[in-house]
Amino acid sequence: MSATGKVARLPLARRRAARSSRPRDFDRPRFLRVVIGLFLVWTFAPIAIVILFSFNSSRSLQNFDGFSTQWYSEFLATPQLRESLYASLGIAVATMLVATVVGTLLAYGLVRARNRLTPVTNVIMLVPLVVPEIVAGVTALLLFTQIGMDLSVATITIAHITFSISFVTIIVRGRLVSLNREVEEAAMDLGATRVETLRLVVLPALWPAILAAALIVFALSFDDFVLSFFTTGESPQPLPVRIYSSIRFGVTPTINAIGTLMLVVSVTAIAVALALPRLLGRRGGGVLIGKDAV
Amino acid sequence: MRCEVNEQANGGPGASDEAIRFESVTKRFGDTEAVAELGITIRRGEFFSLLGPSGCGKTTTLRMVAGFEQPSEGRIFLEGEPVEAIPPYRRNVNTVFQSYALFEHLDVFENVAFGLRRRKVDRGEVRRRVADALELVQLHGRSDAKPRELSGGQKQRVALARALINRPAVLLLDEPLGALDLKLRRQMQVELKQIQREVGITFVYVTHDQEEALSMSDRIAVMRDGRVIQCGPPEDVYERPAEEFVAGFIGISNLLEGVADGPDAVRVGPSLRIPAPLPDGCTTGEEVRISVRPEKIALDELEPGMVELAGVIESRVYLGMTTQITVSLGEGARLVVLEQATYRSRADDRWEPGMPVRLGWHPEHCLILR
Repeated sequence: MSATGKVARLPLARRRAARSSRPRDFDRPRFLRVVIGLFLVWTFAPIAIVILFSFNSSRSLQNFDGFSTQWYSEFLATPQLRESLYASLGIAVATMLVATVVGTLLAYGLVRARNRLTPVTNVIMLVPLVVPEIVAGVTALLLFTQIGMDLSVATITIAHITFSISFVTIIVRGRLVSLNREVEEAAMDLGATRVETLRLVVLPALWPAILAAALIVFALSFDDFVLSFFTTGESPQPLPVRIYSSIRFGVTPTINAIGTLMLVVSVTAIAVALALPRLLGRRGGGVLIGKDAV
Repeated sequence: MRCEVNEQANGGPGASDEAIRFESVTKRFGDTEAVAELGITIRRGEFFSLLGPSGCGKTTTLRMVAGFEQPSEGRIFLEGEPVEAIPPYRRNVNTVFQSYALFEHLDVFENVAFGLRRRKVDRGEVRRRVADALELVQLHGRSDAKPRELSGGQKQRVALARALINRPAVLLLDEPLGALDLKLRRQMQVELKQIQREVGITFVYVTHDQEEALSMSDRIAVMRDGRVIQCGPPEDVYERPAEEFVAGFIGISNLLEGVADGPDAVRVGPSLRIPAPLPDGCTTGEEVRISVRPEKIALDELEPGMVELAGVIESRVYLGMTTQITVSLGEGARLVVLEQATYRSRADDRWEPGMPVRLGWHPEHCLILR
């Protein structure tokens, strides 16, 4: 009975195997593709709509009436918005520079100059990442008013730097931990001073990580809203805060144009941050010291 | 323990042929003594090995010479000059690291040239010396390769060339062959020794591999728990181990516990009395150990003048070139014997467990350890 059953079932299994060109992946259920598809639509549909309507020729946010770049022109023609764009870029660049340098040095210190306090410092460093941003914003505001500092682009930058340092440190530390300490000793053994060792051996090895950290921090700072909202002065306001305040007086298609531009800046920064380590890794990211110049 | 160079007595203090001198150097990490009261002198041009199990202080000793660690007490002299005030990058020593520690972002040429570039050697000379160094380690033609493209043995050679090119007073090698497979390790042992003869630089070689130390060294210092237990040429260390630890660490040791019985014998059990030359000052009743190297014991084919004992074959392990035979002497005492295969016979075809056998050795091969 059971034997005949097996024989009867066999051709069916064969037919199935023949239908698909390769064996079925039992570990990759098909319904997951549906889930992924839904996730992608859920995430990107609103963004796609913003991008689409930023090129709309009419003011309508419901009907697409034709292609036009007038909202981009209008954005650039509005002095207040332009000012905000420059402020945001300036804050992001300053944050990136300061946080990258400090964060990298902090990572180097935490990994190479270990002592009894290192575990404590490691935990303290995580605090800016886990503290809710709204709390960070309120405390920053309280601090600045307490010490009598006028709210301005400077206060925003300081606030951004505080949380950005942690990002840089965590990213750079990951790379540093995998760097064999004997390599640094070898450099010193061969006559390189501490500073030369840092410059010639440590930095080239950390370079991809430092660059990635810098770009991620740039992107985070550029589109940060909560911290900026609490620490901003009257003028100039960073772009996200400016968008928020103008939305309260009604949504104009200019917002779509700004949103699209911000998206392009952030995505570019993150994409470069992700791609660079691989590109540099493959080519080695080496520093030529005159061998070919002879 | 002290390990001075005897000939130096004639040359006067600070003789010019000394490369490194340790003067009661002690290194403590917290409460543990990594190195204790180290006092050895390493001659110029010598291949000197620090041999011992992991954690015996050999690597710490090396790192103190390189300058990565400072002695807690005592002084280290490099070519007669104290080194404690000299940072690693200005000491006239170079290190070959266990992990090779090559600069991954630089090619082979730049790795090897690193030391010369730090000393602002001019370009033409850098080029020439790098070519020479790569020639020496048989890596010419690979100067454009990145370290990750090299095999373990090739990386090892780059590390060696990178250190040797600076013509240091002393080359420090920290288990440089540890990561290589057995065959390559043998080959590199021969090459290292050859290179050392060629360049004439003092080599201080750290290893836990006794065979490596025996085959390459001019002298060996055997270390345990931060102390040098014995220091001397390989033949001395192997044939006349000063302590049970040395005997056990180098080669298979045959140790029989017993008590001194008269001026020239050791009683191992109630009915087992082994003739052995007792050292001076050994009194009857003192507990001693007898040690005979396995390859020094003859089975059945005894020669005149040998100490003779009777035993029973207990087991036989075929090892290819040799056969390891365990012989029971009764009283719980057993000796391991190594028999060499020869052109006449396979080594393993003579003995079966349970066979009675006569065994013997020349008295001078029998060591008494107190």
